[in-house]
Amino acid sequence: MILPGLGRLTPGLAFGLVILATLALMVAVPGWIAWQSPIAIDPSRALQAPSAAHWFGTDDVGRDVFARVVYGARVTLGLVAGSLLIAALIGGGLGLIAGSTGGIADLTLGRLADMVQTFPPIIAGVVLTGILGPGAGNLILALAVVYIPTFFRIARSGAVAEAARPYVEAGRAAGSSEPAILLRHILPNVLPLVVLQYVILFPLALQIEAALGFLGLGVAPPTPDWGAILEQGKNFILVAWWLSLWPGLFLLLSAISVTILGRVLKARWDDA
Amino acid sequence: MLALIAQRLAASVAAAALSALAVFLLVRAVPGDIVGQMLGQTGGDPTAELALRAFFGLDQPIHRQFLDWLGRTLTGDLGTSWYQGRAVTTMIWDAFRVTLELSALTLLISTLIGVPLGVWAGIRAGGPVDTAIQGFSMFGLSAPVFWIGLMLLVGAAAVFDWSPPFAYVGPEEDLPENLSIMILPVASLCLLQAAAYAQFVRGLMVNELRRDYIRTAQSKGLRPYAVYVVHALRNVLIPLSTFIGLILVQILGGVVVIESLFSLPGLGRLILSAIQGRDYPVVQGALLFVVLIAITINLVIDLLYGVFDPRLRT
Repeated sequence: MILPGLGRLTPGLAFGLVILATLALMVAVPGWIAWQSPIAIDPSRALQAPSAAHWFGTDDVGRDVFARVVYGARVTLGLVAGSLLIAALIGGGLGLIAGSTGGIADLTLGRLADMVQTFPPIIAGVVLTGILGPGAGNLILALAVVYIPTFFRIARSGAVAEAARPYVEAGRAAGSSEPAILLRHILPNVLPLVVLQYVILFPLALQIEAALGFLGLGVAPPTPDWGAILEQGKNFILVAWWLSLWPGLFLLLSAISVTILGRVLKARWDDA
Repeated sequence: MLALIAQRLAASVAAAALSALAVFLLVRAVPGDIVGQMLGQTGGDPTAELALRAFFGLDQPIHRQFLDWLGRTLTGDLGTSWYQGRAVTTMIWDAFRVTLELSALTLLISTLIGVPLGVWAGIRAGGPVDTAIQGFSMFGLSAPVFWIGLMLLVGAAAVFDWSPPFAYVGPEEDLPENLSIMILPVASLCLLQAAAYAQFVRGLMVNELRRDYIRTAQSKGLRPYAVYVVHALRNVLIPLSTFIGLILVQILGGVVVIESLFSLPGLGRLILSAIQGRDYPVVQGALLFVVLIAITINLVIDLLYGVFDPRLRT
């Protein structure tokens, strides 16, 4: 079976796509999958092991872990997708301009990117969210800042390579304006690089988002975020393993499915 | 070669100085400092506030504060912690020893596991062994490190009825006790790093085994061991040595979460608690230290490229 844009359907790709579809469903319509409330508290049923009534058990204040994990998909995956999109737009846009114009702006932006990248990504995330304080807005800001330099470099090197091509020179000789060359010729060739980078970075950003949530630097409770559920589960790890198992498993499956997609895209686009 | 070193060094120093400045400004840009926290407990007294600000040097203009800090830092004095009253350099050193042990053990064990796995997968590319090792890589690279740590805690309690000791003990005080504290954190970090090694080395081996000289060696009738280990692996070692640098920087990041999970008093925990307590001298000092380590590792990688590949020396 040949899929449009992805090529032959291998077992690995099928596995990845099934998980992606499930996750998409959890993000789009969590209420169809989990009937219980992810935030309703009921101390009388605290820390119950998984059962028919509560598939993933309950947490220390009696919330249904299955519902929290299902509703958490939108929070966790949404935060990662959103911050990476911001990073791709800003970093990609700046890289495009820096790469095709060069000069002092290129140099300055390059040094700034160096500066951010001197920190290991997770440490940069900890510093930013730790100083700015927890909360969804700051988390998005921190993740975006961490990944802007990566997108900047990819878009920049793509733009530099394209700007040196003869057709760009020809376009200029034919009287096209610089913005027109940028949009019509350079952008379409750089865009696939940025999209592929987005898919490749997604699992990495997901790890960092979860780690920050786990360190208590993510979204504020009681919002169901996978990293935050793990942080809560840490304190009950030896009495209630189910609090920690499920959110981590979904982080793992999300990362695997996106990684598979990234590899397939990379293999196809490298051939092209 | 010298020009390359000088250029890299200059770029690294510039990046370190810029990030030091950025951290310095960032901690001061957010409302709420130590004076506010201290006065919050005793009630707001304007004279006390002024005196405290002067005591911590926070009454100075911000560029003076930075230049003062930079000047003292260049002489090796990172100041004193505002909460503990200890010299920041001592605190960093104490914490670094914990992180160093954690990182060194992780590097050693993950290299010993990951590299052979990668070589094996590369030799058997396309077969069931390769598939299994690639599956392991995918799992290790995708699973959150701290989640692995949590699951290992559950597993150790369930299978061996054992939990690691709570209080940290240094290796010089009681080595067996120290190792029993280190085993789960190291195992969590090793899974990720061994997976990274396996994937990287497999790719290198597959590329290397496609080369003509390998076919020549095989058609000469060399034993597989000679082909794989003497010929292919030797060429793989060059890019591998630079990959180790990347792994080290990754470990440095990974310890932040793992130290927090296993209550190890290392650099990651030091940075985290200092940030949350707004202990500016510790935040600035510890981050500068981490950045310098990361920069040094990257510099060494660049130089190794030059040593191994003479084409890059010009």
